[in-house]
Amino acid sequence: MADKLIEAKNLRKVYGEADARTVAIDDISLDIDKGDFVAIMGPSGSGKSTLLHILALLDKPTEGTYIFDGRSIDKYSEDELAKLRNEKAGFVFQAFNLLPRTTVLENVELPLLYSDIKESDWQERALKAIRIVNLEHRLKHESAQLSGGEKQRVAIARALVNDPEIIFADEPTGNLDTKAGKDLMEIVANLNKEGKTIILVTHEEEIAEYAKRIIRVRDGKLESDTKTK
Amino acid sequence: MSIKHSIRIAFKALKINKSRSFLTILGILIGITAIMMMMALGRGAEDLIIGEISSFGGEIIAINPGQEPTGPTDIAGALFADSLKAREVELLRQKSNVPYAKEVQPFVMVPGSASYEGETYTPMIMGGSADFFVRNFGIPIEEGNVFTEDDIKQKENVAVLGHKVKKELFGESDAVGKYIKIKDQKFKVVGIFVEKGVVAFFNMDELVIIPHTSAQSYILGTNYYQEIDVIAESADVVYQTAADIERTLREAHGISDPDKDDFYVTTMQGAAEQIQTIIATLTAFLSSVVAIALVVGGVGVMNIMLVSVTERTREIGLRKAVGATEKEIKQQFLLEAVLLTFIGGFVGIVLGGILSFLVALGLAQFVASNWSFSFPFSAILLGMGVTTLVGVVFGLYPAKKAAERSPIDALRYE
Repeated sequence: MADKLIEAKNLRKVYGEADARTVAIDDISLDIDKGDFVAIMGPSGSGKSTLLHILALLDKPTEGTYIFDGRSIDKYSEDELAKLRNEKAGFVFQAFNLLPRTTVLENVELPLLYSDIKESDWQERALKAIRIVNLEHRLKHESAQLSGGEKQRVAIARALVNDPEIIFADEPTGNLDTKAGKDLMEIVANLNKEGKTIILVTHEEEIAEYAKRIIRVRDGKLESDTKTK
Repeated sequence: MSIKHSIRIAFKALKINKSRSFLTILGILIGITAIMMMMALGRGAEDLIIGEISSFGGEIIAINPGQEPTGPTDIAGALFADSLKAREVELLRQKSNVPYAKEVQPFVMVPGSASYEGETYTPMIMGGSADFFVRNFGIPIEEGNVFTEDDIKQKENVAVLGHKVKKELFGESDAVGKYIKIKDQKFKVVGIFVEKGVVAFFNMDELVIIPHTSAQSYILGTNYYQEIDVIAESADVVYQTAADIERTLREAHGISDPDKDDFYVTTMQGAAEQIQTIIATLTAFLSSVVAIALVVGGVGVMNIMLVSVTERTREIGLRKAVGATEKEIKQQFLLEAVLLTFIGGFVGIVLGGILSFLVALGLAQFVASNWSFSFPFSAILLGMGVTTLVGVVFGLYPAKKAAERSPIDALRYE
């Protein structure tokens, strides 16, 4: 049996208090193995993004236990969580979130600024990540000069630069056209083949088809969990 | 994250909002420039006074009759106070009373004007010793000679003129040997001082000196002096000598309570110290008024940093998502604030230096020719220190706010 990277038990996430109280996630439990490729699906407002944010260490559950890499996140200090986000996880956001007026190379180097890696190794690492997403010809371009597909590939290179265990992607193709979306998913699928664990949120069936496992969420509850490959 | 990268990021952030950064920096810059000018001009004034004292006469002690003036009426009273007479001069000249007195010279003031063949001028007429001025104020005779001790003893009607007085009365023609009139009395001009200008806040060119004996007998009809000057043997014994003088005169006048003194003793050193204290107090006061401008500038920095934190909420979220710790975010925003104030401080110091140099040039040209430009190193240190402090104080709150945002709240922010 493969190693478990993620073990979540009875996760709940509640926003607001009293009358304004909304339950975004209601009692979700799931395990994810190393090397898996999971698509989390559901209609908008289903809590799928909230679930991803919790799994991605960007947010904390109100209740339940979440064990990442064999250790409960309650046991990590804020600084240790920052280190985990830096070294073990990579993130890709729907809105790209590249730094403005900053070149492709510098955007990809961003996580290295916060790592223990020597500055002399930065460029080599960044170039390696940029090569994976086929953007060597765009190194000195600023983010505003790039197409949407290119921007999202920069975001993937940025997520890869610290050679993380797992990549989280929140609607990575949401702002892309079909062609660019497909190209991007090819890259993501390849990363998974090379051993990276992938968790992505999407509401498009054809994007979810790339995954090995599809988790459906509705009204904050787990609806189904199926292996497709 | 290394400081080097923090600085680079901070510079970039400031560059992205050029005009905003510039205006924020301006607030700090104005405050620092003003403080620098206050300090430089204060120091210039201080240097001027110290220069005046050290260039001559640190050894001079003046004794005036009456109580130490605290208002205009006291000064008027001092003109008619008669506590200093020939007896006091004799007492002060005795080594047993004032051992370190090198010289004791009385003076009287002669009100009125001097005239020559229809030309009239109102100089400062003093009865005393011209020789005393030559030796103790470093003002030589240009033409003719000083009058002698014998002239003083014989109550001769002789006069030595200041350079400007000679010009006003005689123009370019010879003055030595001619007679000028002071209050119906004819005085033979025996010498002319060189052009000297202001020495110890006193315009030597406006002076006429006649023997005090002649002045008392023929013009004033009095037997008291308006001032007795004592020269101490060296600057080191000035205070000792001043104390000896006070003791001698109190004994002679039978005064036991110093508050009831009928004379007062002033040393140039003491006067200089008083003036220095006044200038230092004034500089500190003005600087602290100007410091309010710095606080306003600091509030401006805080305001802009808060705007910046809000605007860059997504950037903060992203940085946290890729591994920035709270400390690193805080450091980055704090550095940005300090950079704003530091640039303002640096430019302000340079600008303050240039402006105070120009002002010093102007003062030297039109007010006091021996005013020199001086820019205290302590002002530079203070300026840099204060601006950095302003940056830290007013940057801390925005930086803390930035650091405390949870990564997902920051990323969700639209």
